[in-house]
Amino acid sequence: MNLLLTAVVQGLIMGLVYALVSLGLGLIWGVVDVVNFAHAEYMMWAMYATYFAVAGFHLDLLAALPIVVALGFLAGVCTYAVLIRRIMSAPAVTQIFTTFGLLFFLRYSAFAAFGPDFRGITWPPAGGSVLILGVPIGAAQVDAALAALITFGLLHAFLQWTKTGKALQATAQNPAAALALGIEVERMYMLAWGLSIATAAVGGAFLLTFYQVSPTVGDAFLLLMFASVVLGGFGSVLGPLLGGVVIGLVESVAGNLVSPTFKLALVFGALLLVLFLRPGGLLGQERRG
Amino acid sequence: MTAAGAAVAVLLALLPLAVHNAYFINGMILVFIYGTAAEAWNLLGGYAGQLSFGHAVFFGLGAYTSTMLLARAGISPWLGIWAAAGLAAAVSLVVGLPTFRLRRHYFALATLALAELVRVLFLNWNLVGAAVGLYLPVRLMNQSWAMIWNTKTPYYYIALVLFGAACGAGAWVGRVRLGLYLRAIDEDEDAAAALGIPALRYKLLMMGASAALTALAGSVFAQYVLYIDPSTVLDPLRSVLFAIMALFGGRGTVAGPAIGAGFLILLSQYLGGALGGFGRGYDYVVYGLLIMWIAAYEPRGLLGLVRRLRPRPTAAPGPEVRPATHGADTRGPRPAPALLLEVAGLAKRFGGLRALDGVDLEVRRGEIVGILGPNGAGKSTLFDCITGYLPASGGRIVLHRAGGPRLLAGRPPHWIAQQGLARTFQLIRVFPGLTVLEHLLIGQEHRGESIAAALRPSPPAVRDRAEGLLRFVGLEAHRNAPAAALSYGQQKLLAFAMALVRHPPLMLLDEPVAGVNLTVVERLKDYILAQNDAGTTFLVIEHNMDALMALADRLYFMANGRVVVEGPPEAIQQSDEALNLYYGR
Repeated sequence: MNLLLTAVVQGLIMGLVYALVSLGLGLIWGVVDVVNFAHAEYMMWAMYATYFAVAGFHLDLLAALPIVVALGFLAGVCTYAVLIRRIMSAPAVTQIFTTFGLLFFLRYSAFAAFGPDFRGITWPPAGGSVLILGVPIGAAQVDAALAALITFGLLHAFLQWTKTGKALQATAQNPAAALALGIEVERMYMLAWGLSIATAAVGGAFLLTFYQVSPTVGDAFLLLMFASVVLGGFGSVLGPLLGGVVIGLVESVAGNLVSPTFKLALVFGALLLVLFLRPGGLLGQERRG
Repeated sequence: MTAAGAAVAVLLALLPLAVHNAYFINGMILVFIYGTAAEAWNLLGGYAGQLSFGHAVFFGLGAYTSTMLLARAGISPWLGIWAAAGLAAAVSLVVGLPTFRLRRHYFALATLALAELVRVLFLNWNLVGAAVGLYLPVRLMNQSWAMIWNTKTPYYYIALVLFGAACGAGAWVGRVRLGLYLRAIDEDEDAAAALGIPALRYKLLMMGASAALTALAGSVFAQYVLYIDPSTVLDPLRSVLFAIMALFGGRGTVAGPAIGAGFLILLSQYLGGALGGFGRGYDYVVYGLLIMWIAAYEPRGLLGLVRRLRPRPTAAPGPEVRPATHGADTRGPRPAPALLLEVAGLAKRFGGLRALDGVDLEVRRGEIVGILGPNGAGKSTLFDCITGYLPASGGRIVLHRAGGPRLLAGRPPHWIAQQGLARTFQLIRVFPGLTVLEHLLIGQEHRGESIAAALRPSPPAVRDRAEGLLRFVGLEAHRNAPAAALSYGQQKLLAFAMALVRHPPLMLLDEPVAGVNLTVVERLKDYILAQNDAGTTFLVIEHNMDALMALADRLYFMANGRVVVEGPPEAIQQSDEALNLYYGR
């Protein structure tokens, strides 16, 4: 019983972190209708940026955060403007191919620049552990989960209560109609990419307080991200939140109660199960065939 | 192309006699092995458009199977590689059956996840060496039965033969009917099914062939490197690499994956040598940049880039040929027509919405029956239920054929199409990348067509029929133009002609004349009447009242998912109920 409670609490906390790093993947998928296989690589770069800001320039994590997030936003906007814009009307095959190219480029340029070493930071507020429902959880994980909740809240408020947010939603639902209404769809796409990578940067920055970065860190996260997004659906902000938490729970409960070796296998199994049972995605939000 | 292929083959066969640089020969062996895998990937991902990012599973299965057989049972790899190919093909079919229900992104994602799953399993499976991996028995060095040598030349020739076979398989698929079917499935699977093409069967066939070839490449790779473990042969990056080679060179062609493999492997060898270390990953940085660049500027790959330099002659639009007109007067009365299609109590619910609410409808042999009704009446839903694109919620659909009645409900679209029921779509569906003539060739009868038959070119009878129909609809000047280059009206004519190739006894037309100019309307009307004379029965949805009045023997008026009135055109025209519903009065 105690083991199960521990697994559930740990799973919930890690699930929120998964949700945070997956959020941007779902956002681009939903709004821009491009599946970004390189999403985890942006997170990896944000982790490196945080590392150098904290370990190199001796900034506090919270001081480094705005810089890292702004850089992430800029990287997203540039990716859209330079690359994605040109493949918007290309077949899905080309789009998938392109983002895999992006994955190779981002991962191995980090490899070339920083080498294969693992790097991490220590952030004093993330030291020690806290008790949640009597279960000790690392303070770093709890901080990251809080950051996830705040980010989700802010993004949700932005989408629901601002005019730009509404325009973004309109673009997601029907770009042609949005264009006809005078919404600058191109700018919305750019904004979606900016927000997507910015949220991945928040996730990366907090992840670094308890997870070391290396150029291949994305490997462990790419399929987790896809699992979260497909599970929760990518029409809303709440979809990836739900999906991420479910994936966190599956991983944690399976890892604690079944076998730690096969916890990832079980997560991928869950992803496959969802794909097979709901071929159109959980919420059936697919626009193109 | 075949002459060029033969020349390349001879050159490659003679190469080891002239070049003795081991580094270069090693590079070429890798090009052949990866090239085989890229060609194999292309069978599925290129021709059939199913993007797999899990082919490392088959590569790994191949490597592990032949290695286990040799190391643990002493079975020669000359036999073991075939066992490996068979096992990989069997696994691929088991995996393919559920996975092929997924489209595009989801299929790619599922294959990626499956590959990870298999890797994790092998990493923890002690029988196959788990994370430590397996060594091939080097004590059998230079014993030919064990396929292990300490020189590179035998490997070079084995890999070259395999690569040649893979290119041959690709070339064959590209030249026979199957290649056309696969391209049609790639471009629009639903429209292909409407012609009766069994998409799942051909996708599984390509999956099996692709997996078997990839496994052969994996077996030979294991024999060459003499050590395998999950992080080399089952590395997900390897799957991505196979795909990237094919896509980079130009998918759906024979030369593309070969060029892609050659270019990327030799590039990485060169970068590895020049920039100091494969391990630093410079080669992958360059790959990434090249991939993005080529995707943004030339999605057809390197081969497309080459083709751009050679402008192809475009067919000048020739004079349009009008067919002999068939007036209504030539039709005359018909003797006691027999029942052909019977729809009874057909219902379709979308959640709480009753799109079809108990539709009864009959079509008799030789008739032209029209369906009329306001938007949202359920007309297209009716067609989708009859042709299997939507599952009906209730009711009966029976096609009365010479061989006895056939119940259509619950059957897949391609099966229904094979029973002799052709359809066109409201939103025009042609295959943009196929030429006009190719559209007509794939329109052939698919009922009883064996896989062996699909591996041959189209028979002369089909070619004659295609030529005849090209003339019939006046598109022969455009025979080699891709459908994407045709005007909307021409695409409608093409979709119509394509459905006619197999002489379907019953054709369902969804708004055949909507959105085309008056000349084309008249032509389409003529074609329908002419075809009706030739024995085809029609069920037509149309908003163009004049066209429908001129064509139809009987009309059904639908509203709110029901048939409201039924009768000869004049009667419907005078029905207050129908007019009120149609014009919303």
